[in-house]
Amino acid sequence: MNEIAKPAQRSRAAKWSRRGFIGAGVLAGGTLLIGVAVRPGNPVGKLGSLVAGGQGEQLINSWLKIDADNIVTAIVPHCEMGQGAHSVLAQMLADELDADWSLVRVMQAPADGSYVVTDTIRGFVAQGTLGAPDWLEPTWNGLFTRIGRLADGMITGGSSSVRTTGQHTMRIAGAAARQMLVGAAARAWGVPAAEITTAGSVLSHKASGRSAPYARFAAAAAEEDMPQTPALKAPGDYRLMGTDAPRTDIPAKVNGTASFGIDAVVTGQTMTYAAVRRAPVPGTRVAKMDASAAKAMPGVLQILNMGDFLAVVADSYWQAQQALNAITAEYTAPESSIRSSQDQFARFSAALDEAGEAGGKEVIALGDAKGAMAGAARKISADYQVPYLAHAPLEPMNATVWVRDGKCEIWTSTQVPLMARSAAAKALDISADDVTMHHPLLGGGFGRRLEVDYVIMAARIGQATGYPVKMIWSREEDTQKGLFRCADMSRFTGGLDARGRLVAYNNVFTQRNDPADACDCAFYDIPNKSIRVAEAELHLPFAAFRSVDHSQQAFFIESFIDEAAQAAGRDPLEFRLAMLGQSPRHKAVLEKAAAMAGWSTRPAAGRGRGIALTESFGTIVAEVVEVDMSSGKPRATNVWCAADPGFAMNPDGFRNQMEGGIVFGLTAALYGEISLRDGAVEQGNFHDYKLLRMDECPAIAVEIINGKHEKLGGAGEPGLPPVAPALANAIFAATAKRIRALPISKHFA
Amino acid sequence: MQPTAAFAMTGLALLLSACGSRAEAPVEQIVVRQPGAVAASAPVGAPDAGDPVAAGKVAFAACAACHSAAPGAASGIGPNLHGVVGRAAGSAPGFSYSPAISKSGITWTERELDTFLANPAAKVPGTSMAAGQVTDAPRRAAIIAYLASLKD
Repeated sequence: MNEIAKPAQRSRAAKWSRRGFIGAGVLAGGTLLIGVAVRPGNPVGKLGSLVAGGQGEQLINSWLKIDADNIVTAIVPHCEMGQGAHSVLAQMLADELDADWSLVRVMQAPADGSYVVTDTIRGFVAQGTLGAPDWLEPTWNGLFTRIGRLADGMITGGSSSVRTTGQHTMRIAGAAARQMLVGAAARAWGVPAAEITTAGSVLSHKASGRSAPYARFAAAAAEEDMPQTPALKAPGDYRLMGTDAPRTDIPAKVNGTASFGIDAVVTGQTMTYAAVRRAPVPGTRVAKMDASAAKAMPGVLQILNMGDFLAVVADSYWQAQQALNAITAEYTAPESSIRSSQDQFARFSAALDEAGEAGGKEVIALGDAKGAMAGAARKISADYQVPYLAHAPLEPMNATVWVRDGKCEIWTSTQVPLMARSAAAKALDISADDVTMHHPLLGGGFGRRLEVDYVIMAARIGQATGYPVKMIWSREEDTQKGLFRCADMSRFTGGLDARGRLVAYNNVFTQRNDPADACDCAFYDIPNKSIRVAEAELHLPFAAFRSVDHSQQAFFIESFIDEAAQAAGRDPLEFRLAMLGQSPRHKAVLEKAAAMAGWSTRPAAGRGRGIALTESFGTIVAEVVEVDMSSGKPRATNVWCAADPGFAMNPDGFRNQMEGGIVFGLTAALYGEISLRDGAVEQGNFHDYKLLRMDECPAIAVEIINGKHEKLGGAGEPGLPPVAPALANAIFAATAKRIRALPISKHFA
Repeated sequence: MQPTAAFAMTGLALLLSACGSRAEAPVEQIVVRQPGAVAASAPVGAPDAGDPVAAGKVAFAACAACHSAAPGAASGIGPNLHGVVGRAAGSAPGFSYSPAISKSGITWTERELDTFLANPAAKVPGTSMAAGQVTDAPRRAAIIAYLASLKD
């Protein structure tokens, strides 16, 4: 079963994690740091120097410091790519600390093993569902910490920041620090700790009328023992959690002072810029380069043939790109025989044919799918397909490097700073300790920046030059030569019984990455299932895309469920509700979205509504899309979204993420297509790889079902999966035309 | 019924796959010159370092996002700067200035412009010129020289 449906494991998960944090703190040297002011020159070890700011700061533990002006700084191990993780994680810490939100600052944790996000690793590795016995706990946590360190697990992905690091690290860090401050004040004032209250970054003792800002006891607090099981607040005691506390990162983004990876400047050095061109077809290399014209062009410093790519280093990016454009090159012949999108889909189709009704690798086998299908009153079948997609973050891939004296310094936007550090070290054949990472804000990640290919390229260029160089990919390079959401094809056969219930479900598809349960819809009561994967060769290299496998699987599954409802002659909402008897939370979410949309009312002429329900990254989301077909082309006018994440720590931020996921998903559903010609990507820039424009954006309404659950779902990705099937289903409702291949715009060209 | 073991495998593979491999050296490396070294022939269109007005005209490109300097051209996000040197602050016709600038009493001498551009918000607190700080003194001087050259 899915994790939401397993309340029995909640309390244990929390307990593990609490111990996990303390353990990780010890491993990180946290206890050694306590009581030592974080000042340059103090013997506080590496961590102190990495997080040190001004004078008079006290590092209470590795996750927060308090300075003389009573400013609390939360040291956040996750990256900020617009999803609001920095701010909401600080919000969670601040609540447990009883800090004044206006006095809280956020610091990006340095790329250091101390900030491995153990709970995220646990989520990635085990999805939190392994029922290990209690006696295994210490080993278990140790194991994950070790895995985390070995795998350079400082990761921002999987919609995990709040539900793992926030719940199991930042809150505990805040609560522990609060307890230590109270302890220090109680000692100084000679009163029982239980009589001291905290609020707004101030300690108070009502009976004696004494009060003091946290800063006054920060140094003494650091001498207190680290509480092993700090008490966390119950939802009724939350002051900041569950509120729309203003995001700390927004002012700098509005006034333009926010610094992203591409803004990096190596202070005191002459900046140089590299433009790069990879061989056009994956797996091919540069066979021959003619740079005679480029050599003489203005600003050019160096021209490099790196074997797998070309680079021009120049005084400015523009000059580098112009010179690169003047280089002619020949490339080696590709090994793959896939030359076109048609070739790619033919491979998928052949793999599905070969797998048939029972072949391929089994993923889910439930009941007797074969027998139920044989006994079905009515059978339906459908094939669906989705194309490759580029992530197209507005900040293209880039990295600034300075390689000198066996050391390397890197400035880059990445979701995996420690992996980037290791990859650069390996490429340069130096120790990871000799690589210093700076990882500022990301101008979009979407999974593309979980990969470090571009960091390795920059490190290699930097090694060749020996001076600081900023490598920037052109938009075309970013669209054509990177890593992609996979294309995929999925085949369904369904069996309906005499009463129109879906009793047999047979599905085979070709691509499976993460999460493992993305190909299932376990919340629906479908008694007999056979779900299999028939793997087929992919021409373009893969990178996780926002919501990963859910980005295609939700379209497949929820389109097919809609077709089953149609075959059964049932309303799409009623058909789904009838299958949700065992899943009350899913049912409530679906009903909420339908109520928001006024599902029972008839849409205006030329319009149709479609609905879809998904659960991804622990959050249940239902969306209703209304589409206007009166112009002959689909225009999504409204999206009503209901979501149950268990509890939204920052409802405004959560809604923003649903909205962002919906817009991102609409772009993919309507326009997103990376196609192949002669083995290379055809699209290059936003004129032929369109994003949803402002005038096309539907009115989006989001409602959160806040159940005050301890186990939370994610926010960054779950808004995306339902929107493509809901839109396709809406088009069917309006036109009786069933969309089985994305992008939708191709059907209305 | 979830295949957690399979997930563990893929999850770990994801974590470990990004480690990269030992890099290869360049197949071909053409060094034209070192950074900072003067090119054998000056690039076309580059300003002469000895001509501050020309250098200022190039540097003004950043300012031109908000300010026009063409005679008689309409003001944009910021006021038209044609003839700004010697003029009273807040006096470009038709531009809606911040109260801070209007009441500043400044006359834009080259010296006043220099302190303003070095840190606009410090010189005139409340100015709506949020961008435009020019920290590099020679660059500032060049921009002012260019502005001073713009007279009817």
